[in-house]
Amino acid sequence: MLGNGGVSVSEERIARLDSAVSEVFEMMLDRSCGPVDAEIGIHERITARIQFSGAITGECLVYASQTVAQIAAEALLGTVSETCDPMVEDAVGELCNMIAGGWKSKLGSSEAVCLISVPAVTRDGTLGFRDEFGTSYHRCYSFQGNVFGVALAFQS
Amino acid sequence: MRALIIDDSAVMRKVIERALRQAGLELTEVLQASNGEEALQALRSDGGSASPIRLIVSDINMPVMDGLQFLEARRDEKLAEGVPVVMITTEGSEPFVLRAIAAGAQGYICKPFTADQVKARVLPLLQVA
Repeated sequence: MLGNGGVSVSEERIARLDSAVSEVFEMMLDRSCGPVDAEIGIHERITARIQFSGAITGECLVYASQTVAQIAAEALLGTVSETCDPMVEDAVGELCNMIAGGWKSKLGSSEAVCLISVPAVTRDGTLGFRDEFGTSYHRCYSFQGNVFGVALAFQS
Repeated sequence: MRALIIDDSAVMRKVIERALRQAGLELTEVLQASNGEEALQALRSDGGSASPIRLIVSDINMPVMDGLQFLEARRDEKLAEGVPVVMITTEGSEPFVLRAIAAGAQGYICKPFTADQVKARVLPLLQVA
């Protein structure tokens, strides 16, 4: 299926995700951030999840190692945080919130008529995709060599 | 001046406070609430204060009572009348913006945001207020 300019809908959605992630890091953390080919280990992973409901039903996950999450939290807050500081989880949740919201805002007006939940954050690394959603994308990103993952799963 | 920041994220409350200070606001006290209900309680308690709250910044998407419900309840209770309210939220679609403005919000900023955007939207409201 092709969208604007002969670009596939999947490519458009991934480009919107890349743009949303980049904007969040540029504007809120003052860091450049772009996609990379990488794998994120599942151990000691912090995962934040936002759910979409409405014209789009699905979820957005942001996941990172404890170390990368802490670096991102410090960049967002402008202060040093401790290893198990609850602010680290809070920061990952807010990053997920802004990325999901930014991605949603870049959709067409009919698709963007959906609500997003407050973020849910876990440290157990088991919070995964729901199987019922038809489309999913996984993407890794890096800021200053620190890699984290973003995943989208939805039906529209 | 005193301000009230409403957001369910403690991280975002800190980020917003920093942006307000970077905008040049001399904040003597920043009250914090993690949802609309806590914010209403703070405003009820602050009634009659010698140094009242002069700015309210609120998220929309929060548990217990969201930012739009807070705006409508504040208007109905006539709390902090005349105090500018700026929404800072990931919800940028037109229905949310229109409902927020109808319920009394004077400013609307979408996350992610820059300190310059906060300065440009908030300072004019305080000069008028």
